[in-house]
Amino acid sequence: MTSGSEYVGIAVSFLLAAGITGAMVVLASTLGRKRPSLAKSGPFESGKEPFSLPRGKLAIKFYLTAILFILFDVELVFLYPWAVVFRELGMVGVAEMAVFLGILMVGYVYAWDSGALKWQ
Amino acid sequence: MNGASMDDLALLIPELILVSTALGFILAARRIENAHMATAGTIFAALSAASASVWLVSDSARTAFGGMFIVDGYSQFFKVLIGAALALTALVSERRIDVESVRPAEYHALLLLASTGMMFAASAFDLLTLYLGLELTTLCSYILVGITVERPKSNEAAIKYFLLGSFASALFLYGVSLTFGATGDTGFATVALAVSENTLRNNAVLLAAMSLIGAGLAFKIAAVPFHAWAPDAYEGASAPVAAFLAAASKAAGLAALGRVALDAFASPSGIASGFLIGLAALSISVGSILAVSQTDMKRLLAYSSIAHAGYALLGFISGTTEGASATMTYAFLYVFMTLGAFGVVIALGKRGESLDGYQGLAAQRPGTAALMLLFLLSLTGIPPTAGFVAKFVVIQSVVSTGHWMLAVLAVVCTVVTAFVYLRVAVLMYMKEPQTPEEPARFPTAVSAALAIAALVTVLGGILPGPLTRWTDSALAAKSATSISRNVDR
Repeated sequence: MTSGSEYVGIAVSFLLAAGITGAMVVLASTLGRKRPSLAKSGPFESGKEPFSLPRGKLAIKFYLTAILFILFDVELVFLYPWAVVFRELGMVGVAEMAVFLGILMVGYVYAWDSGALKWQ
Repeated sequence: MNGASMDDLALLIPELILVSTALGFILAARRIENAHMATAGTIFAALSAASASVWLVSDSARTAFGGMFIVDGYSQFFKVLIGAALALTALVSERRIDVESVRPAEYHALLLLASTGMMFAASAFDLLTLYLGLELTTLCSYILVGITVERPKSNEAAIKYFLLGSFASALFLYGVSLTFGATGDTGFATVALAVSENTLRNNAVLLAAMSLIGAGLAFKIAAVPFHAWAPDAYEGASAPVAAFLAAASKAAGLAALGRVALDAFASPSGIASGFLIGLAALSISVGSILAVSQTDMKRLLAYSSIAHAGYALLGFISGTTEGASATMTYAFLYVFMTLGAFGVVIALGKRGESLDGYQGLAAQRPGTAALMLLFLLSLTGIPPTAGFVAKFVVIQSVVSTGHWMLAVLAVVCTVVTAFVYLRVAVLMYMKEPQTPEEPARFPTAVSAALAIAALVTVLGGILPGPLTRWTDSALAAKSATSISRNVDR
């Protein structure tokens, strides 16, 4: 395999993505019926009010859950490179990963014990 | 590098002791209600880690984990110092833990983990392990500064410290990546080889890398111009945390800076020393002058710690083992006298935080006032206290390398700091009491910590011989091994 050919696939997927989305936009604007309303012509912000002052309260539980998820998610990413080479590492590798996961579990138990996982 | 062998792990015993104690505390965070138990556990772990590091060192240095980690006399010295600072901090924390509703186990677990990072940094022989150790320390320090969540000031301090600290870490990492680009490795031995081969002056990339790494480390010891976080963080943090930052954190930062300046970026052209001269001169002068106008005791001690960081750096300027030995002596004595001064602040409670609280202290509590006077005299550097010995050895090392202007500046600024510290003494001894006497007695633990700090401050001033012999022998082993390592390559 020459060095350039593996990029052909990426180029094809770029072209496909651009073609399909472009076709959808063009078809919708030419074929679709147009019944404008106030809500439709406003800017789209995934259901949120597009402009508001940051005064409202956000429950801390969302933040807590999100931060716990990110923490454990990022730590567990280490399992993937380990899984690739764990045959070469042998028993030492297994022991190292056990220690790593053990320390991670201590954090998990702590979060659980402190009531961070309760949806209250 | 095929994973870690048992021999490698054996060299990590001091750190492993601290980590396992901390993990135990975290697991039982809600079960440990008794602050005394947590304190006892921390002190036991600190002392066993310190004695383990003493036991580990043989005549020659040993490296582990593919040369990323080194155990030698230098690391041993700083590990013992960090262990002592941790134990003393745990002792002085007794009072605050009860007052401020902080879970004792969580607090002590963070102290232990921060100290683990410091010990790891003292043993680092690679820029990445050094970063790992320092980052563990600072991450725990951010939380410790903000641990009293009900006080808005504590939160504010934690956020400020976090923002500036992340910036400093980023600078450090950028320097590490540039070093890797210039030398192809992050190990100190390879970097030292590259630095000795092409002079720093001609290699812009390596020069930029050194400056960035130096800036990141200067932040850790709060040297001017990277000091802005310290007064705010110390003021907002609860007093034992401020004491821990001023003592242990600074010692670890000095250990790291010394290792980087002497082992990695030591160049014959003296560029590293030029960098250190700038940092030291600025820290000494700015720290001393800004301390004059402070009315908050913790802020005053923060500026004093900035000035002391500058004094401690004086030893590293010469780039010789004698100079490094002077800085180590300074770091050792500074840790005890600053912990003592903070200990008095903690013992006095709310009254001790502002300068006005010291008015007429001598009439109400003669013993406490006398202890504070001892620590203040030592911080000034007046014989026969330890502070005099510390300042003497570093200024002597500067004079021996011919930096006369720097020595004169250091002495002049000592006079300025004398005004700062003796102002407190004047308040204690020559003013009428303003605050009514509080009948409360100090907890035994705080008194014990003050007694130990006072003992070292007095003994270090009268009998500095054993300490300087220790630092000299620690470095003798070090220089011998770095030479042999270079020959191997």
